[in-house]
Amino acid sequence: MTRHGRVVAEGSVKKLAPRLLMPVDVPTEYSGNVAQGSAPGVNKMASTSALISSPDFRQEVLRRGGETAARCYQCATCSAVCELAPAEAPFPRRQMLWTQWGLVDRLAADPSVWLCHQCNDCTTHCPRDARPGDILQVVRGLVVEGLAFPQALGRLVANARTTWPILFGVPLLFWIALLGAMGQLQSPADFHAYDQIVPHVVLYSVFFPLSGLVMLAAFVSGWRYWRMMGVAAPRAKSFLSGIWATGVDIATHKRFGKCGTARFRRLGHLLLFWGFVGAAVTSGLLIVAIYLQGYELPLPLLHPYKLLGNVSAVALVVGAGILVVVRITDRDRAGASNAFDSFFATVVGLVIATGILVELARVFNPEVPVAAVGLYVLHLGVVTTLFVTFPYSKFAHMLYRTLAMVHEQAAAPPSGG
Amino acid sequence: MSEATPRPLLVVGAGIAGITAAIEAAEAGRDVVLLEREASIGGRVLQLHHYFPKLCPPSCGMEINTRRLERNPRVRVLTRSELKAAQNGTVTIRQAPAYVNDRCTACGKCSEVCPAKVKDPHNLGMSEAPAIRLPHPNAWPYRYVLDREACPDGCRACVDACTYDAIDLEAKEREETLEPAAVVVATGWHAYPLDRLPELGGGTLPNVISNVQMERLASKSGPTGGTIQRPSDGEAPKRVAFVQCAGSRDHNHLPYCSAVCCLGSFKQALYVKEQDPEAEVTIYYIDRRAFGRNEDILARLSEEKGVRLLKGKVGQVKAGDGGGLKLKAEDVEAGRLIEDQADLVVLATGMVPNLKDGVLPLGLERDDDGFGLDDTRARVAGVARRPADVATCVRDATGAAARALASGRA
Repeated sequence: MTRHGRVVAEGSVKKLAPRLLMPVDVPTEYSGNVAQGSAPGVNKMASTSALISSPDFRQEVLRRGGETAARCYQCATCSAVCELAPAEAPFPRRQMLWTQWGLVDRLAADPSVWLCHQCNDCTTHCPRDARPGDILQVVRGLVVEGLAFPQALGRLVANARTTWPILFGVPLLFWIALLGAMGQLQSPADFHAYDQIVPHVVLYSVFFPLSGLVMLAAFVSGWRYWRMMGVAAPRAKSFLSGIWATGVDIATHKRFGKCGTARFRRLGHLLLFWGFVGAAVTSGLLIVAIYLQGYELPLPLLHPYKLLGNVSAVALVVGAGILVVVRITDRDRAGASNAFDSFFATVVGLVIATGILVELARVFNPEVPVAAVGLYVLHLGVVTTLFVTFPYSKFAHMLYRTLAMVHEQAAAPPSGG
Repeated sequence: MSEATPRPLLVVGAGIAGITAAIEAAEAGRDVVLLEREASIGGRVLQLHHYFPKLCPPSCGMEINTRRLERNPRVRVLTRSELKAAQNGTVTIRQAPAYVNDRCTACGKCSEVCPAKVKDPHNLGMSEAPAIRLPHPNAWPYRYVLDREACPDGCRACVDACTYDAIDLEAKEREETLEPAAVVVATGWHAYPLDRLPELGGGTLPNVISNVQMERLASKSGPTGGTIQRPSDGEAPKRVAFVQCAGSRDHNHLPYCSAVCCLGSFKQALYVKEQDPEAEVTIYYIDRRAFGRNEDILARLSEEKGVRLLKGKVGQVKAGDGGGLKLKAEDVEAGRLIEDQADLVVLATGMVPNLKDGVLPLGLERDDDGFGLDDTRARVAGVARRPADVATCVRDATGAAARALASGRA
């Protein structure tokens, strides 16, 4: 099997992804570990070379809008102005060099790529307009694709700019076909609750196995990443030792808060985060309500579970709204948008929008159940897209950034303060 | 040159480049009009403590030039003069009022009685001087100058004190037009303003100074009589930090390299070490650019004890304790962030061409950064052409004079 080294013609991304990150020049001891759980063929490409650059990777960086990386002249202003960069392993100056040289193994195994919250202080101060903040975002997209399992899905999502009809269409068609086959695609008489259209047992039998598969995929990717980080920088402590501090940090967005200039983005993200948590908890509570408490759906509007759901919805809308406003009004701070960002933003936006419309349609417009049914099927479709693409879209930052933060905790010296 | 009186050559700017061009052309037999915006000639070089390549005081080199200038009747020097307009080969020269005329003997009586104080421009605002004063000890013409706008209403103290009738508070500006055969533009530069660099403490922290201010601090004729001390309390700095490329090679500021600031800081590091061998000096750089033979000084500096050359541009300068300063940078070679302390921070600011906003004579054009581009009858010399050290400017000026002589014959 040939190794890296050929420049892949533009557009032939298919050949690229398997060697995008992992196999290029991993030390042998770790390539064995990683390869066991990874896609077939990948492990064969391990080499013992310590420093090999991948022209394919550099091509990919360019293709995804990272052409400004070439402007960097390593002055290190970026690292010096970054509020998040750790003293002993500052970023993003080094990462810019690795990107220029195509040192994919270093980038892939480097937690800094995810410790960055893209406040873009570096981009604002960069004397060369090399836009380090945007470059790291491009690299994050490449890491997500390179570590994806199965690889084909990773590629599909990475190319959302062209594959979005599949990503949205297939789940939607799936639901239409399923419900059609069940004879459920018709306006129910006396419409009052959505389980008349899709019985809960159908939801469970689709979403539970799907969640299992998604979690498996995410686990494999996360495992690869965790191993790579550990080999590149051995940890003093275990995964569990770092998980609590990381959890607290995520819950409060403390680290994000150090990005002084990204204050509004942090607020928006915090609301979005807790909105999602609230929505997920509400889903769990509804199962409790139905099976343990024996409630009938829909719950009354003032029921605590319902309130939690609606408060979460408001948080989601406000949070997403803030992020959209920041993106539109402060382009320099928000960074350049690429397909990686916009696909995820679109999915999240559609989930929020259809979710709220579904509720409104039932409450305010029950006489026209056709609208409600249509919206509900649409909602199920985009929720499925969100689920399935989780390990491959920007959503995966939840996985990788968390792991990077845990790694940083576990690697810190005991006295670390 | 068969004509009786060929039209003169106009040289704009009497710094080291303009003076050189004027003398070279005059000594080759050409009539020259030399314009200088300030009241005395010499330009930026006279503000330096020592200059390259031999690290001698600039007064000696400049003295030779003024001697040549004085002895040559072909050069007509117009100080306080600028180009007001240029059209179709005719230039209009505006000369600011001569409040002090050539009867002045520089006796100094006017200064003694002058009640108004101004920030001394020769010392780049680091000291005060009377509104009427000798611009600096090397002034040529050796004559006092009055900052008329600083005069209190109705004050005639200097006029009354002057026994030579050399002061005329009602002097008017004058204009003249000229049809030069050719022009040499040598309008020089000014330092990139400190206050554009607030993240590095420029304009906000008193102990953050520019490289040109450092020259004045080290100079015998400077605000401290040549003792390097920090502005806030006059203490001799124990730790001095030089921040290279402060506002240079930066698309937010000056996109180009000013060519001399690396060497300038190396030289200034030696000033510090000469005054206090125990002082600790750190030079934070992106690249160390010591062109040509000047690499010797880098070698010399590397051998100095207590001088550290650190790769990594400073990102922030903040106030520390007791007038001290904190610098944040990445030590690129070690791959770690450092937070250093310093008593005095010198920002190596770059050169902005004065031509950027000036009048362009005879079809001259400038590039995006404001540097002049040669035309057939207008030549550019010195830093008006591109950032350069003194020696390069002098060679430049000689070449510009030769080309102007050739093209201006018609």
